[in-house]
Amino acid sequence: MAELTIVGKPITRVDAQEKVTGEAVYGYDLVLPDMLYGKTVFSTRPHAKIKRIDTGKAREYPGVVAVITGKDAPWTHGESIKDKPFLAHDKVRYIGEPVAAVAAEDEDTAQAAAALIEVEYEDLPAYLSPEEACKPGALPIHEDFAGYRKSDFIVTAPLPNVCEHFKLRTGDVERGFRESDLVLEERYTLPTIQHAAMEPHSAHAQVDPASGRVTIWVANDAPFRALHEIAEALGLPLEKIRLINPLQGGGFGSKGGLKVEPIAIALAYHTGGRPVRVKFNRQETFISTLTRHEAILYIKSGVKKSGSLCARQMTIYWGAGAYAEKSPTVCIRGSLPAPGPYRIPHVKVDGYAVYTNKPVSGAFRGYGIPQGAWACEQHMDELAKRLGMDPLELRLKNVFVDGDLAYWGEKLHSVGLKETLIKAAEAIEWGKDDISKSKIRSPNLKRGKGLACISKPTRTPTLSKAAVLIDASGGVTVLAGTVEIGQGCSTILSQVAAEELKVPLEKVRMAPLDTDVIPFDASTTSSRSTYHMGNAVRLAAIDVREKLAEMASPMLEAGKDDLSFADGKIHLKEQPQMALPIGEVVRRRLGASGFLRGDSSYTFEIGKDLDLETGHSEHASAFYMYATQAAEAEVDEETGRVRLLRMSAAHDVGKAINPLNCEGQIEGGLAMGIGSALHEHLVVDETGKVRNPSFLDYHLATSLDLPKMIPIIVECPEPEGPYGAKGLGEPGLAPTPAAIGNAVANALGIRIYDLPLSPERVYWAIRRMKKKVA
Amino acid sequence: MKKKIRITLNGNVVSPEVPAHRLLLDLLRDEIGLTGTKEGCGTGDCGACTVLLDGKPVNSCLVLSGELDGADIVTIEGLQIGRELHPIQQAFIQDGGAQCGYCTPGMLMMSKALLDENPNPTEEEIRFALAGNLCRCTGYAKIVKAVQDAAMELRTRHTARQ
Repeated sequence: MAELTIVGKPITRVDAQEKVTGEAVYGYDLVLPDMLYGKTVFSTRPHAKIKRIDTGKAREYPGVVAVITGKDAPWTHGESIKDKPFLAHDKVRYIGEPVAAVAAEDEDTAQAAAALIEVEYEDLPAYLSPEEACKPGALPIHEDFAGYRKSDFIVTAPLPNVCEHFKLRTGDVERGFRESDLVLEERYTLPTIQHAAMEPHSAHAQVDPASGRVTIWVANDAPFRALHEIAEALGLPLEKIRLINPLQGGGFGSKGGLKVEPIAIALAYHTGGRPVRVKFNRQETFISTLTRHEAILYIKSGVKKSGSLCARQMTIYWGAGAYAEKSPTVCIRGSLPAPGPYRIPHVKVDGYAVYTNKPVSGAFRGYGIPQGAWACEQHMDELAKRLGMDPLELRLKNVFVDGDLAYWGEKLHSVGLKETLIKAAEAIEWGKDDISKSKIRSPNLKRGKGLACISKPTRTPTLSKAAVLIDASGGVTVLAGTVEIGQGCSTILSQVAAEELKVPLEKVRMAPLDTDVIPFDASTTSSRSTYHMGNAVRLAAIDVREKLAEMASPMLEAGKDDLSFADGKIHLKEQPQMALPIGEVVRRRLGASGFLRGDSSYTFEIGKDLDLETGHSEHASAFYMYATQAAEAEVDEETGRVRLLRMSAAHDVGKAINPLNCEGQIEGGLAMGIGSALHEHLVVDETGKVRNPSFLDYHLATSLDLPKMIPIIVECPEPEGPYGAKGLGEPGLAPTPAAIGNAVANALGIRIYDLPLSPERVYWAIRRMKKKVA
Repeated sequence: MKKKIRITLNGNVVSPEVPAHRLLLDLLRDEIGLTGTKEGCGTGDCGACTVLLDGKPVNSCLVLSGELDGADIVTIEGLQIGRELHPIQQAFIQDGGAQCGYCTPGMLMMSKALLDENPNPTEEEIRFALAGNLCRCTGYAKIVKAVQDAAMELRTRHTARQ
């Protein structure tokens, strides 16, 4: 490979300027001409029949243009199970479910009119725990489940309210347990948390009365998937739907799928062609968008005295909330690697995604990996303790290495896991506890260290298409459907295009995202974009480069193969002074307004699909991301407060296309992981109501809550990835809570099985232990 | 009830007529059309809407327009010095202080307020000053670094002028 000029450099973001000046326009900022303002009415009951909705007073309110209920929107949608109505039909399934909506001339009017809508309910029993909701005899939350439109991969179970049952079957776990010297069984739980992207949710929609065409302006992380989902729901051909993506103020998984979009679309059918904006405020965003799956995990392992793992069995209940959304795929892709990145001959996993009467769970950065890691990685430390082994040593003995056959049947390559373990541990001076403990200020402060590691698959197979244009001024435009959600894709993809065409980065521009003109992309999820779209942009750039070389060949009187690119020019390899600016080549051949276009399409072929009975697959993922994080914590035995002293995070990214950006992703992931470990919990009370739907009561990590963070980039190249790159966005928070949990257990000698590690929980755990000892 | 108020906004005198109960945040975003100031919560908990009111940082979602007559307001759109970026803006670009960018305007205004008061803050002082400005992307490390770098640049400029 030729020497890289831009890829691999810590270049500052291409979108930073517009973000620091306030010029950047986000979905929440967007104002359309002649726009109406929407307001949503939400269910106040967790599970109830709708007896009556009275919209009379709202309709009469001056300035109101439309009032709609489920009767006006007879459509349903969903990622893989079409169970979710645009507005509730006949019954509600959680507090916060959209029931009715108003469009009015201004925000105040919409709000006042929405408050006049009366809804009468007849309550039904509510299920608030996934483990309870799937017990035999539980009443169905979705009576018509069997009749819903579903994807082929959905596996149901003979249990109530289960919308997906994932099965992994490798070897014979019972035999594995019999052959083990030590068998340990534990139960771990994680509560519901929320993405809490700083930009709340909103959507704008307009229906053209003449053509019936629906246009939606929304900061959605998967515009093409949304387009398909909307078209399927409305029964319209794809070309009748258009999505335009303004900038997105963070998402972390919350802004995929459809949430505000259906309300805006349903209203737009009743406004005589005027566009309507529906905004959720922060409270509405908390209760009525998406959350991360609460989970209950049972884990049982058998291990030899030597530390070799023999068998592992897991049963996982994923709380789907009221609608399936992405629960089936979270259940599949979270349950599959939940037993950890280890060589284990006998493995059995049952993952159940279970409906409850709580806010809807969906994609959340990490996609099921944090839940599995919270259980598996603390369980590993408990095994190590019982074996009298160092937790790092136990992991090094069992972790995946190149050439291993993973327990799901895939031969692994490019495994940088060991290096992440060693580097993350070194960074917090693993094993040198005496130095650290000598610095303790008071006898009630206890210090400990812990680490945790993960592997994470990416959604596979998926397709990314791209186009790269060169215009007569030498400007390069990249058409890519990856959404800039803050992760830095516009910078990374610009670097890729600039690298392949050897133009300065300033010459590259990302085209705005409009599904009418941008080629298809599966989604901006799953840490898939650098790899998939990076490959697609690279191939499109190569395509246009080849065309340009062909065009320039007669102009430079040289064969195509004798030409080379540098500094925005094409030149003779042997005589670099014989050169033409690339724009000049385009201009000479195609005129001043001409441009040359290269196209591409990239997907990773998996061969056979995942076997639904065994969970086996030769290629479950295009690539795997590996990471280890290590924490040093200080716990106050008098208050239960956990203070982090430092945290390292070593991530195998394959190749860092932009190290500055990689560091930012790792640090941001860590902060989110620390928040989920120590503070975050979206509290749903016994009536099904969210008790803390505000930033005052839902504690995000602030600048004062975070320790010294040590991001470490490990590069174990992925041969198929662009320049060797894998992905990075999602794993950042996945091992964090387990690493902290292990540090706390190391400090106190107490294992805490439930998140978050709030002072109260830690305090009572200490009290219980002291009582036991006394 | 609409009320005519006279304010200095980013150095220019403007006299909007607004309902007295309109929040400063909505006045800026909806009535005047300056959407650089962001709405993150509307309840004063996240700092995304921070602007300078008579030189002091405030959550503009907690200020009523009716009380603003005679006020001097600086928003993110007024942070640049002429056509040049303010050193804090420059530092956020250089250090990777912005990711999704939604908290960035509020962070910048709060940072400016800090550095106006305290040109040489410690890391702890920076973290304390920014504790009411939530960021979900960066983990704050690069933001803190940017404020440190901006402080140094501003001090260098100040010394050069003397």
